[in-house]
Amino acid sequence: MPSEALYQRLSEAIISGDRNKLLAIVEEALREGIAPSDIIERGMSPGMREVGERFARYEIYLPEMMMAAEAWEGAMKVLEPRLLEAGGGQKRVGRVVLGTVKGDIHSIGKNIVGAMLKMSGFEVFDLGVDVAASAFVTKAEEFEADIIAASALMSTTIPQQRSIIEHLEARGVRQRYCVLVGGGSATQEWADSIGADGYGRTAGDAVALALKAVGKG
Amino acid sequence: MLNFASVVERAFSGPICTERDFELGIFVPNLRRVVEKYAIKYDPQSPVPADDDLADRVWQAGIEFLAETGVYCLDTERRILFSREEIETALKSGPRGSILGEGEDAKAMPRRFPEDETPPWCSVGPTSVPVSNEWNYINLVKGNAENPLADSITIPCLTNVDGRQIVGGSPLGIEGAIRAVLLTREGMRRAGRPGMPIVNGVTTATRSQEHIAAHHFGLRRTDALEIGTIHEMKIDFDSMNKVAYSLAAGSLIFAENGVILGGLAGGPAGVAVVTAAYNPVDLLILRGVVQHPFPTHFDLGVTSARDTIWARSLANQAVTRNSSLPVVNVGYSAAGPMTKMLLYEHSAWVIASVVSGGSVEVGASARGTALDYTSPMEPLFGSEVAHAVAGMSRKEANQIVNALLEKYESKLRDPPVGKKYQECYDVATGKPSQEFIELYREVRREMADQFGLELPPSSPYL
Ligand code: B12
Repeated sequence: MPSEALYQRLSEAIISGDRNKLLAIVEEALREGIAPSDIIERGMSPGMREVGERFARYEIYLPEMMMAAEAWEGAMKVLEPRLLEAGGGQKRVGRVVLGTVKGDIHSIGKNIVGAMLKMSGFEVFDLGVDVAASAFVTKAEEFEADIIAASALMSTTIPQQRSIIEHLEARGVRQRYCVLVGGGSATQEWADSIGADGYGRTAGDAVALALKAVGKG
Repeated sequence: MLNFASVVERAFSGPICTERDFELGIFVPNLRRVVEKYAIKYDPQSPVPADDDLADRVWQAGIEFLAETGVYCLDTERRILFSREEIETALKSGPRGSILGEGEDAKAMPRRFPEDETPPWCSVGPTSVPVSNEWNYINLVKGNAENPLADSITIPCLTNVDGRQIVGGSPLGIEGAIRAVLLTREGMRRAGRPGMPIVNGVTTATRSQEHIAAHHFGLRRTDALEIGTIHEMKIDFDSMNKVAYSLAAGSLIFAENGVILGGLAGGPAGVAVVTAAYNPVDLLILRGVVQHPFPTHFDLGVTSARDTIWARSLANQAVTRNSSLPVVNVGYSAAGPMTKMLLYEHSAWVIASVVSGGSVEVGASARGTALDYTSPMEPLFGSEVAHAVAGMSRKEANQIVNALLEKYESKLRDPPVGKKYQECYDVATGKPSQEFIELYREVRREMADQFGLELPPSSPYL
């Protein structure tokens, strides 16, 4: 079947993180009349799953994940309007505002968490590092996020995770968001003490918690 | 060597690009190309490789990569570029034999080569491990300064000021950083070693203003501020401000590069090349007197995993064969104090570092992040191992490291946490529990029986 071959090529383009190639194959598939939902579910998603598995086996690393996620995002820009046209639902699982807290510039763990969330279908707004507590809240409001994920690696910066929760409370929107915390210095005990909704030791935990938060776990 | 002012100028005038384009459009393809061109391949069977040609290829790959890639300045979103000639000149005119410490504790930092008999420099202490109170802090410093093999101290991180949790960038951060220095000096005085140098000034400090404030309360010109590149191949003004201050104050810099295995540098081969590429960056941008590398595993948070040990050994060999900027390695273990696994882990990376031309800084237990999980025992053991293997061949070291890895590598994900300082030491006397002394003696015996490693007899616990 020709569409099987196309699905295979879509998957390969995701795995190789080749955004332009993926876009070209997506266009080709659409021209051939393949439904956008099939392009995603039968072509791109298996590719994403494979990327995740290879990452877990230490066969590929952050750059390959970032490129796969970028390719995915590029294709979704084309596919999403068509999905909506066709009356299909959103393909996005949920929205996450992510960042490393104020005073802390450790970025790698956060980036891995971001890439893994994207690969699991979340739309992620990455605020970067050294992010003020209030900026997490403002962006979450603007972005209509479901989840706020805050990374902090130092004993001197984890207090900023508590600060995010205090800012949410001060604006009266604490209940609107699931707040996840992580990073070297955070622990389950710490998360409980500040009233966070979840703590994850690894990026895999972050994804599991996020899926649970949006009722997909 | 290109002066610091010119480097700063380039941060303002270099080519503009976004961080994403630097990462995925420049860094990653350039690195992949040199890894391929110079045929750098990871060999899990040789955590301590002994191939000089491979080491030199890693070096060439690193220099080529740096000249093509430059260093990304996060504040100006520009690349700071260096020509090959500027890199070569820096390598020729870098600092040599800097003296750290004062009085009887003053000592020149040695340049070492692979398989060198020159005793390695040993820095000891709770490498920025957070500690819960000032009393533990002083006793930890004192206990480490009493180590007869200690050349310098690597200080812990204070977590509160009079019970208030320290928040980096706030006045509490300034006060915490100042106290950290004063408490360290006091701990060293109590150990009878007032001149001992601090080489990771000041871990309690998060921002440059805290480093600078603390400097005025007892840091000396012969201590070192620890300043790092941001991974990978990035720098920001906060770090460059620390450099500017250190240069003006005439004090020394330990230039740290913690390349993350699994991060932008990818796998072990990329990590080795990027670690080598940082060596000239440490001279040109960080103005270091020492390169202080610690390739860390992205998933395990340690430097004692097989692939990170391979990358570290190889990068050390590449650097020490080709640059005169001395290397002092640091290592993060998974297990906590008073576990055998911790002593195996520290031994493994220490051996790999020393026979590959490095010196060592021992003391980051339990990933360096767990409150109070540190003791003076593991740095003592680590420094003894470091002295015992000076002059050993890489081949022999490889066998020992392989055997050590077999003892612990399957437990890196869920390691034994061990004991907190206050649980394995008497906090009043600052001495280890008898049980801990027995465990230490037992592992010393294992080292002798299984590997023929005779650790120095200077230990206070024999
Ligand atoms: C690499 C590193 C650096 C690099 C960072 C480069 C970068 N671009 O990120 C550099 C050299 C710049 C650096 C600087 C400093 N560092 Co540093 N650094 C590290 C190190 C060795 C590894 C961190 C890392 O990237 N690990 C790999 C990633 C993948 O792991 P991770 O971040 O923990 O993320 C994983 C999980 O935690 C989780 N996760 C992460 N975020 C989130 C978020 C959520 C919501 C969830 C659910 C999960 C989750 O998923 C990730 C993937 O599994 C750690 C030690 C350690 N073992 O953690 C010290 C460490 C964090 N640093 C430390 C210190 C002291 C500093 C400095 C102050 C040192 C100095 N001389 O100035 C500066 C501070 C700069 C600043 N203002 O932030 C200390 C902190 C001690 C403390 N007070 O608690 C540590 C613990 C080391 C130590 N003991 O010395 N550092």
